[in-house]
Amino acid sequence: MLTDQTDEQLLVQALTGNEDAFTALYRRRQGPVYRFALHMSGSAQIAEEVTQDVFLFLLQRGRDFDPTRGALGAYLFGVARNYVRRAVEKSISEAMTTSPAEEDDPVLVTDFDPVRDIARSQTSKAVWKAVLSLPEHYREVVVLCDLQELTYADTAQALGCALGTVRSRLHRAHEMLMRKLQHSAPARAEFSGDAARCLS
Amino acid sequence: MKCHEFMSAAELLTTSQLLLMQMEDPVMSVHARECPACAQWVGSQRSLSSALQTLHMDTLERQASPAVENTLLQAFREYDFHPSVPAAPEHAAPAAWKLSRVFELAAYAAVAAAVIVGAFLGLRVLNDRNLSPTQVQAGKSTPVPVSEGRTVVAKSSVETPRPENSNLAGYSASSRNSAVRLKHAQSVTEPSEKIVDTNGFVSLMLCDPLICSGDEQIIRMELPGTNASGPVLADVVVGEDGLVRAMRIVN
Repeated sequence: MLTDQTDEQLLVQALTGNEDAFTALYRRRQGPVYRFALHMSGSAQIAEEVTQDVFLFLLQRGRDFDPTRGALGAYLFGVARNYVRRAVEKSISEAMTTSPAEEDDPVLVTDFDPVRDIARSQTSKAVWKAVLSLPEHYREVVVLCDLQELTYADTAQALGCALGTVRSRLHRAHEMLMRKLQHSAPARAEFSGDAARCLS
Repeated sequence: MKCHEFMSAAELLTTSQLLLMQMEDPVMSVHARECPACAQWVGSQRSLSSALQTLHMDTLERQASPAVENTLLQAFREYDFHPSVPAAPEHAAPAAWKLSRVFELAAYAAVAAAVIVGAFLGLRVLNDRNLSPTQVQAGKSTPVPVSEGRTVVAKSSVETPRPENSNLAGYSASSRNSAVRLKHAQSVTEPSEKIVDTNGFVSLMLCDPLICSGDEQIIRMELPGTNASGPVLADVVVGEDGLVRAMRIVN
C-alpha cells in the first residue's frame, strides 16, 4: 500500500513515473505546504501558486533530494519558503500597503483577508495580522514552529540555520507578537502583560 | 530563582513545554507564583500560544484546490522520466566537425606510417645484431679504390676496414694523436684476433656494426720516418665519427 510508505519511498517511485506514488505524496504533503505559504503570505492565490511550484520543482529536481540531510517534509518547506519569498517580493513590488497595527512594519499585499475569510475568532484574526506584520525571518519560525508544529530541528533544516538560532528567533518573535497584540483592540485584554518590566 | 534566570530557562522551552511548566519544573513554577511580573509574562505566553493554536485550528482544513492537483498530474503525465538524447543527423554536424574528420584521417595515416617505419628499422637492427662481426666484415668487403694524394683520396662503403699485420711502432711525435688512438684501438682489439684483409689494411679497433656503420674515407697520410729513409706513406680508414678504423703502410 502506498499509504504505508514513507515520503522518501514515494518520491523514489514517483520519479520513476509512478503516478499513484506521486499522487499519494502530493495528497500527503500539499496541505502543510499550502498552509505554510498561506500563513507566510496571507494570500490564498500565492499559496496555491507556491504549492504547485513546489511539487513541480520536486518532479523536476527531486533527484537532488538527499535523505541523509533531513526529512522530505522539511525539504519541501525549504523549497516553499523560497517560492513564497519570490511571490511576496513580486506582490510587494506591484503594490505596497501598511499595517494598521504598526505603520513602520511592512505588510504583505494580499487579495485574501484572513480576518474576513478564515479566522473565526477575534483573537485569531488579531494574531494572524500580527504574524503577517512580523519581519520575514521571525514570521517563518512562528509559522513553522507554532502553526505547522514542526520541531526545532526540522525548522532549522527547513530554514538552513542552527537550532539555537531558531530558538532565539522564536523567543524574540513571541515578544514582538505580544507587543503587537497589546495594541490590538480585540486581543488587548488577553495580552496586557509586559515582560520587559520584570527586572527583579 | 531570579527573573533573568527564569527568562533564560523559559527561552529554552517550547510553547507546549512552557504551558506545562508549572507541572514539570517546580522551581520555575514557584518563581512564577511568587513573581507577579513573571507570572504575567507566563500568562501572556499562554494566551499567545492559545491564540496561535486557535489560528492553527482555524486554518487546519485549508488546502490547495483540486485544480492544482489536476495541473500537477497533467504535468506529471507529460514529463519525460527517461529522456533520451537523440543522435544528431549527419547534415547537422557543424563545419568544424567535418574539417576535423580530415585531420583525423590524416592522423591515422601518420600513425600507420610511423608504425611501418618503426617495424622496418626494428627488423634491420635485429638482423644486424644477429650477424657476427666477421660475417659483417666478410659480407661487406669490397675493393677499396685508392687514389694518390695527401688528402681524402677515396670514399668507401666499407663498414669495417680490412686489417693487416704491420709494424706501427715507427710513428713520430707529429702523429702522436694518431698513435695514441691506434694504441687504444689495439688495446680494444684482441691481438690474437687481429684481422688483415686482402688489401693490407690492419684493423685498429673492434667495431660494433651499429656504431661503425656508415661511410668511411681512406686518407693517405705522409708520416715522418724514423731514420733517414724518408717519410712513410700510409692509408688510413676514417669513419664518420672521426675515428681511425684501420690503416696500412703503403711504402
